Amino acid sequence: MSGDGAMSGDDRKRAPIRFDRHTPEYREQFEAVTQELQGKCPIAWSETYDGHWVASGHHEVFEIARSADVLSNDHDVKGERRGYEGISIPAPPRAKSSRGGFLEMDPPEQRYYRQTLNPYLSPAAVNRWIPLVDEVVRASIDERIEEGRIDFVDDLANIVPAVLTMAMMGIQLKKWTVYNEPAHASVYTPPNSPDQARITEMQRAMGRDLYTSIVEIRANPRPGLVDALVRADINGSTPPDDELLGVLALLIGGGFDTTTALTAHALEWLSENPRQRERLSRERGALLDSATEEFLRYFAPAPGDGRTFSADCEIVGTRFKEGERLWLSWAMANRDPSVFPEPNTVDLERKGNRHSSFGLGIHRCIGSNVARMVFKRMVTQVLDRMADFVCDPEGAEHYETIGVIQGMRHLPATFTPGPRLGAGLDETLDALQKVCDEQRLAEPVTVRRAVAKIDH
Amino acid sequence: MKVRVDPDRCQGHTLCAMRAPEVFELSEIDGHASVADEEVPADQEDQVNEAVMSCPERAIAIVSTAGARS
Ligand code: HEM
Ligand code: SF4
Repeated sequence: MSGDGAMSGDDRKRAPIRFDRHTPEYREQFEAVTQELQGKCPIAWSETYDGHWVASGHHEVFEIARSADVLSNDHDVKGERRGYEGISIPAPPRAKSSRGGFLEMDPPEQRYYRQTLNPYLSPAAVNRWIPLVDEVVRASIDERIEEGRIDFVDDLANIVPAVLTMAMMGIQLKKWTVYNEPAHASVYTPPNSPDQARITEMQRAMGRDLYTSIVEIRANPRPGLVDALVRADINGSTPPDDELLGVLALLIGGGFDTTTALTAHALEWLSENPRQRERLSRERGALLDSATEEFLRYFAPAPGDGRTFSADCEIVGTRFKEGERLWLSWAMANRDPSVFPEPNTVDLERKGNRHSSFGLGIHRCIGSNVARMVFKRMVTQVLDRMADFVCDPEGAEHYETIGVIQGMRHLPATFTPGPRLGAGLDETLDALQKVCDEQRLAEPVTVRRAVAKIDH
Repeated sequence: MKVRVDPDRCQGHTLCAMRAPEVFELSEIDGHASVADEEVPADQEDQVNEAVMSCPERAIAIVSTAGARS
């Protein structure tokens, strides 16, 4: 393997850097590290984790991410191909390794999965869910509105993406609690934490529920992503159960913690910038789209992803060898001053915001339309119903490291109390379950085009 | 001015349609963009130029006009 760098006189790896994105220092000094890397070596070799390249410049990230012919996402867990290690650096220990769905596959396989899921996740498909999402947001806020205090993470931003994911999958809405905690805790809990055993047990429970859903829906089809996947035509055959579990876990893992992270960071920023918040609320018709893209750029919930070079090649002036590992930093590319003037400032009106927070190239986040819609609906009701919210900096808890997700565990806030508008969360979910079942909302947009109808 | 979306580069980020919804159409199935009419109405030129600058994949090109960016 590589790692011989400067020692062996490989001049490509001269002056290696020491880059460890799993340390708290990387989070704390993110802007300085980014500036230094982009200034000195926008594509650099680091000896950490058995050696890997780090792409931090926008031009470099853009060109490399889009070179699908020489890059692989493959995670060859069973050692059947070239032994590549997927998108995490370092790769998880062998014993705990499983393939991360089609994010850890290459075309054509990856493309078959996307073709299967696209009609459930396109902008047109996602917009059908808006009335349901609004109800879940309304009920979550109602649970706290009379009290005048809320934890934006626990009481809102965790709930809504989780409930919608259940609905889209065709799993019972009230089961969101089975999936919620393991989806977040598996990201923020360090491997050596005393809590690890409890988290592992919750992950197992989630896996069991997913497996039960696969078996149930295979026997008695009901619309949704699970149904689409069990029947999927992946190059002439249906996917085996272990691949199905990997894809379903990817949809959950890819969607929960990231959307929560975006929402919490944006709300925290709006609390710290009340005049901008007022402006966003007042001019939301014109500003909400660009503000959402700017929060995505600035807070980059998924800071980067790994790749393996699948062939010797030269891109943007650097030669790479087959088998070498690479970290594509979406978060650092988003701060490149050559593309984003004043990159470390949040500008809600930013123009030409070609950020890479949903990735670039063929693995572009297939859930991006879901994430944007859910985010906008949550922020809109918060602006309407808790206009003067103030987050408590003492209680705000950011993830200690941003190696995997730039997330938040807690974001308590206070606001002027207001009246409830309807039923609480549990009762609302029961009512919405009926709506999902009766209107078959989880059908793909190719089968059902109408927007959900909810009686009030 | 005329505008084109390169279908091999477009990955369906949808930013073009946020900027210029009257010009860019998104596929109902996968959200990838296309233009129904390559000819851009004069009152849409600014929005289309912004869409060009916002496309993360640089998939939109303006053809045959002096001064436009691609
Ligand atoms: C703000 C929220 C989100 C962010 C920042 C985000 C970020 C990303 C990024 C950067 C990638 C590309 C990874 C790579 O190229 O290595 C990606 C892929 C993916 N995301 Fe998201 N995501 C978000 C929400 C969602 C949601 C809500 C879902 C599910 C509905 C989802 C499901 C996926 C899947 C399945 C992939 C793999 C696509 C492929 O490999 O073809 N994501 N996401
Ligand atoms: S912004 Fe670019 S990549 Fe996205 S849909 Fe439009 S043309 Fe395609």
